[in-house]
Amino acid sequence: MNTVPPLSSTASALSRRRVLALSALAGGAALTASACSGGSSASSDPNTFEFWSFTGINQKDSVEEYKQLAPEVTVKLTEVGNAQETAQGLTTALAGGKVPDLVLIQAGDLPKFMKNPGNFVDLTTLGADDIQDDYVEWVMAQATAQSGEIIGIPTDVGGMGIAYRTDLMAAAGLPTNRDEVSALWPTWEDFIATGQRYTEATGMAFIDNAATTVFLQAVSQGEEQYYSADGEVVYDTNPIVRESFDLGLQAIAAGITAKLESFTDGWNAGMAKGAFAAVAAPSWMLGSIRSAAPDTAGKWDIATIPGGSGNWGGSYLAIPARAANPQAAWDYITTMQSPEQQLQHFIDAGSLPTTPVNYDKPELVNHTDPFFSDAPTGKIFTQAVLGLEPFVNGEYNTEISTELLNALNGVEGDGAPADAAWDTATKNIKTAIGA
Amino acid sequence: MSATLTPGTLRPVKPATATRPVERHWERLAPYGYVAPFYVLFLVFGLFPLLFTFYVALFDWNPIGDRTFVGLENFRQLGEDPRFWNALRNTFSIWIISTVPQLIIALILAQVLNNAFLRLANFFRMAMLLPYITSVAATAIVFAQLFNRDYGLLNWFLELLGFGHVDFMSTAVGSHVLISAMVIWRWFGYNTLLYLASLQAVPRDLYEAAAVDGAGPVKQFFHITLPSLRPVIVFTVIMSTIGGLQIFTEPLLLSNGTLTCGTARQCQTLSLFLFEQGFGSFKFGYGSAIGVALFAIIVIVAFINFLLSSRLGKKG
Repeated sequence: MNTVPPLSSTASALSRRRVLALSALAGGAALTASACSGGSSASSDPNTFEFWSFTGINQKDSVEEYKQLAPEVTVKLTEVGNAQETAQGLTTALAGGKVPDLVLIQAGDLPKFMKNPGNFVDLTTLGADDIQDDYVEWVMAQATAQSGEIIGIPTDVGGMGIAYRTDLMAAAGLPTNRDEVSALWPTWEDFIATGQRYTEATGMAFIDNAATTVFLQAVSQGEEQYYSADGEVVYDTNPIVRESFDLGLQAIAAGITAKLESFTDGWNAGMAKGAFAAVAAPSWMLGSIRSAAPDTAGKWDIATIPGGSGNWGGSYLAIPARAANPQAAWDYITTMQSPEQQLQHFIDAGSLPTTPVNYDKPELVNHTDPFFSDAPTGKIFTQAVLGLEPFVNGEYNTEISTELLNALNGVEGDGAPADAAWDTATKNIKTAIGA
Repeated sequence: MSATLTPGTLRPVKPATATRPVERHWERLAPYGYVAPFYVLFLVFGLFPLLFTFYVALFDWNPIGDRTFVGLENFRQLGEDPRFWNALRNTFSIWIISTVPQLIIALILAQVLNNAFLRLANFFRMAMLLPYITSVAATAIVFAQLFNRDYGLLNWFLELLGFGHVDFMSTAVGSHVLISAMVIWRWFGYNTLLYLASLQAVPRDLYEAAAVDGAGPVKQFFHITLPSLRPVIVFTVIMSTIGGLQIFTEPLLLSNGTLTCGTARQCQTLSLFLFEQGFGSFKFGYGSAIGVALFAIIVIVAFINFLLSSRLGKKG
């Protein structure tokens, strides 16, 4: 359910648990070594397969469930590390080690793997053609190579909303009802203006930071983002990127940000202390809010995101080309990611389905969350996902977005000059990707 | 029976003499056999990866994609890459801020702990090692909380005294000082004990003779202590150089796990840059080139340090 933040190399993201995981990584190639030596004896058994997942997303539950549905199959689940570490472990394994039969890849890491689709089984050879229409079109497009191979099946998406504190809004004289609040900000400009009203009334920051709550969400609403439809790098000429970046700068200049980078200790503490009243919240972040600020139960609600739609994160299941037992892995995918199972998984764990057929189901539409003032989370988040169009990702998505976010965080937190921020970012991107 | 003692009957013993050179041969080889496990492991896990890094550095090498031979292109790019020079600057800055005070503190503490009149000497000596045996991650959590911008103890204290909050990780100087403080905290005890062990090997009568000749504590320190400690000082300086220039964990953990270590790469070290390029961006060739550069830098700096520190206390 809690997809680990997809920007792990960028926007900073550490709880204590992750510090420990990172220190293991820093300790040397231990990760890679253990990844390579995974059991190889089982490869001949058609009813056994190896599954690499990451921590914090609780695949154990799904594996347990699969045991009920297919008792003859043994799933060897390994949680390699956090999402980023799992992708790194997979990279090393693909480069020349023992690969798993099934692996979970976070959406943010996927473009790098998509660059070389030959490393994975083309799922159309196993029957992905027949089921691909079950999934949201743009989500499926992310895992489809330009030459037509399907590399992954989406397990969940991160539909966007704005989580806000009703008590703090009331104290600032602003509406608290989620429909009225949503009506306050049809556009990002309105959102920033609302923030200014809040800050003027209370003297407090309205949002956590501009980089992830404004820029990242605004840019992800573009039909074309860092790459054009034919795969050219266009971050520096695409007006949506520049406009979103300027919106971020506007939010900073308006003084409505708390200068708290997402997922840092200060951010967690700020959430509990009410250091900000609103935060861009993808479906998987509700768990983070719940655990960071348990005393604020019932004081939150969820409004629609400015612009109406958006996505942040999500994951895919893929089968490495050298997998010993691809058929068993594929059976797992088709069983556990069927629309019925995804709906069940939403009810059990809150993971947002990637199958639009579920988006009208009463179990999803009527699902409410008491921590967030009984907001209909399933309805709000799925609407945000449906509003998106397919867009093209590229090899350097992470590098480009890292530099843009860093430039904004630099202005907000470290006092870098705002008028030079765009040039700094584009210059750094050019250095990083050579284009 | 006595006949066997006659020279003529020695012949049957011949086979025995024939085996003797073989035995000698084995005896000569045996020691190599005893040390072989280490060298075999070193060859496999030390030397081979090292040489392979040099090889990979000559390629544009995507671990899961294409690899093309590019010669020295990676090194040319490295020379023009502002991120490399920035990382080099940061690495040296952190290394100097952490190593110099650390070794001086260790030297002074060792001198104090060596005092014959010190009570509970063993307790203090053991206590020195506590930071060293604590895991880096645990230390990082404590440091990050102490120095936290909004809710850190230090900033709470500064606010109490009427000063503004200091965001250590947001500036180059602040982050380098914070990282160095953590390195010093971890390693001063280890170096203190090394110095202490060496100090205890210095004969007491040297000091007594010097005292009789009228040398004060300062003179004794520079003329007896320092020269006697020279070998261990050389050792600690070289080890700190190797460790300090490869610093990775501390900046990574203190910056919340960001490989760039801050929005403007203000505390990104060479190791972090290497890891970012190799495993973040899948540029194994470029990452290896950074590794080769780091290797060369460490060899040069360690050699200079060796020359400098072995002259320590020789003059005057």
